[in-house]
Amino acid sequence: MANVTIDNVIKRYGSVQVMHGVSVDIEDGEFVVLVGPSGCGKSTLLRMLAGLEEISDGTISIGDRVVNDVLPKERDIAMVFQSYALYPHKTVYDNIGFPLKMAKRSQSEIDDKVTKAADILDLTKYLKRYPKELSGGQRQRVAMGRAIVRDPQVFLFDEPLSNLDAKLRVTMRIEIKELHQRLGTTIVYVTHDQIEAMTMADKIVVMRDGRVEQIGSPLDLYDNPDNVFVAGFIGSPSMNFVHGKIATEEGVRVFVSDSGLKLPLPETTARDGQEITYGIRPEHIQIGPGGVEMDVVVVEPTGSETQIFAKAGKDLIDALVKERINARPGSKLGFVINPADVHLFDRASEQRI
Amino acid sequence: MFPRPIEKAGPGARIGYQLLLPFVLIIWLLPLLAIFATSIRSGADINAGNVFGWPGEFAMIENYVAVFTRSQASMYFINSILITVPSVAISVSLACLAGYALAIYRFRVALPLFFLFVAGNFVPFQILMVPVRDMSVRVGLYDTIAGQFLFHAAFQTGFCTLFMRNFIKALPFDLIESARIEGVKEWRIFWFVVLPLVRPALAALAVLIFTFVWNDFFWANVLTQGESAKPITAGVRALNGQFVNNWHLVSAASLIAAIPPVIMFFLMQRHFIAGLTLGAVK
Repeated sequence: MANVTIDNVIKRYGSVQVMHGVSVDIEDGEFVVLVGPSGCGKSTLLRMLAGLEEISDGTISIGDRVVNDVLPKERDIAMVFQSYALYPHKTVYDNIGFPLKMAKRSQSEIDDKVTKAADILDLTKYLKRYPKELSGGQRQRVAMGRAIVRDPQVFLFDEPLSNLDAKLRVTMRIEIKELHQRLGTTIVYVTHDQIEAMTMADKIVVMRDGRVEQIGSPLDLYDNPDNVFVAGFIGSPSMNFVHGKIATEEGVRVFVSDSGLKLPLPETTARDGQEITYGIRPEHIQIGPGGVEMDVVVVEPTGSETQIFAKAGKDLIDALVKERINARPGSKLGFVINPADVHLFDRASEQRI
Repeated sequence: MFPRPIEKAGPGARIGYQLLLPFVLIIWLLPLLAIFATSIRSGADINAGNVFGWPGEFAMIENYVAVFTRSQASMYFINSILITVPSVAISVSLACLAGYALAIYRFRVALPLFFLFVAGNFVPFQILMVPVRDMSVRVGLYDTIAGQFLFHAAFQTGFCTLFMRNFIKALPFDLIESARIEGVKEWRIFWFVVLPLVRPALAALAVLIFTFVWNDFFWANVLTQGESAKPITAGVRALNGQFVNNWHLVSAASLIAAIPPVIMFFLMQRHFIAGLTLGAVK
C-alpha cells in the first residue's frame, strides 16, 4: 500500500498540450475516482500513473518514489482495463495465475493465491473455464482477480464497468467497493459516470479539458461545487441553471432572470446588478403554495418520485419531488425554493460566489 | 440468412443445381484428371496419339515405380524437403519477430520499414534472376541446397512479415499493455501471449509458404546446375530423355510431387481455428 502524489503533471503530444498541470494527492488506502466527460484527460492521467504514457512534465510518485522513468512492471501497480484484457487462450485459473507464473513463484504459492482470489471473487466454480465461456460480470471479476493476486501497492481501474449492463453495473459497483474495504489498497478509478463516482469514492477528482476542476469528497462536491461545471456534472438529474442579475426590490434582494423570472436569494456578497448564474438542484425544489408560479411542460412519474419540467418565459426548470403530482401540461404550479439550497456563480467566470 | 441455403430454393433451381454441380466440378478438376490419366497410361499409348481416350493398357504401378528407378526422384524429393522446411522455418520465425516489432513498438522508422516490406513484394522476381545468380556464385552458394533455402527465405520473409504484422496489430493492444503492467518481460509477452493467439495465422502462413517454395520451379533452375541440389519440381524434367518425351512418367512424378503440400495442409488444419481471441475483450 502506498500514497500517490501527482504533482503539476503536463502531457504534450508533439506541440499540442492536452494536460495542463494536474496535481492530486492520494492518501494511502484511499479510493479516488477521476471523473469527467470524454476527452477530459482522466484516462491519460491513469495511463501515466501506470507508466503506459510518458509524462511530459511534472512528477508522479508512488510511495516516496518518483516513478516518471520507472517501467510499468516495476511500479508495483495492477490495472484493470475497460476491455478486461483477459488472455483468451488461458483458463480462468491460468489467467489469474499468469502474473505469478511469470514472476517465477512456486506452484504451491500460485495455487494458494489463485484459490484465495477466486474465493474472494466467487470464481471458484469457473477456474477451468475459458474467458469466452464467461459472462461479462464474470470476466470483469477475472480481470480483478488477476490484479489482486499480485498484491500491488495501487490498483488502477479504467472504466471497468462501462461494458456491463445497468443492473450488473450496480452489483459490480458494490463488489468493487467491498473489495476495497476488505483489501484496503489504494485505488484510482476512472469513470465518466458521476453516479459511480459518487457512490464509490472517498475522494472525487473532477476533470475537464486536461485540468482539475475540483477535488473533494462526494458530498462536498454536491453541496459546495466550486464552479458551474462541477455543479452541473455532479448530481442527477443535473442542477438547474438560470442566467440573470441581482436586484433589490422593495428592500428585498432577489434574483431576476433575463426573461424576468424572480427567484429567492440567499445571503450573498454579490452586488446589485451583478450578472449571475443561479443554480438550484431539482431535488431541492418543493411543489406547493407560495412558490414561484411556473407553467408545467412535462410530468414524468417514476413511481418513487416525480420529475416536473416547467417553464417561465425562456427559463426552464425541473423539480424532483417525492409526492405524486397530477398536473396537466399547461397548468400552473408553485415551485418553492429554499434560499439556503441555492448556488450562485459569477456568470462570466462561472466560479462560485 | 444470406445466402439462402439451396434446400430452400424452388424445385427447378434445385434440380438445375444438382445437375450442374458435378459438371462444373469435372471441368474444375479436368487438368488434374488429365494428368492422372496420363500417369497411368503406357508410353506407347501416348506415342500412338491416344492422349485423352481410354488407356490402351494400364501401367500405373510400372509408371510410378519407374519414376523412382529411372530417375533420382527420391533424391530430388529429399532435396525438396531440405529446401522447403528451412525456408518455411526461417521466414515464418523471422516474420513473427519482425511483425511483433512493427506492430507493437512505436518507433520513428516503423512505418517506412513496414512499407519497405510491402514494397518488396511488388518487385517481380524475374528481374532479380541475374543478380541473385551472380551473388550466389560469388558467395559460393550456387548449386547448393543452402543457397536455395536462404534465397527462398529472403524472398518470402517480406510477405510473411507483412502478414504477421497485420495479424499481430489486430490483437487487442490491451493484452500487451496488461501483461507489461503485470511485470511480464517483453520476449515472454511475445512467447506466452502473442504467439498462442496468432497460431492460426502461423499455420496458414506455413502452408502458404510451404506450397510456394515446394512448387518453385524458377529459382530451382536459376540457382542449380547439376542434379545433386535440384528439388523435385526441377528434377522431373530429367525423366524426359534427351530424345524421348516420357510424359506418362513426368505426370506420375508431378502427382507425387504434389502430395506434400496437401499433407501439409491437413497437418496444419487443426490450427485453423476461428475466433481464437474471443473473450479477450468485452
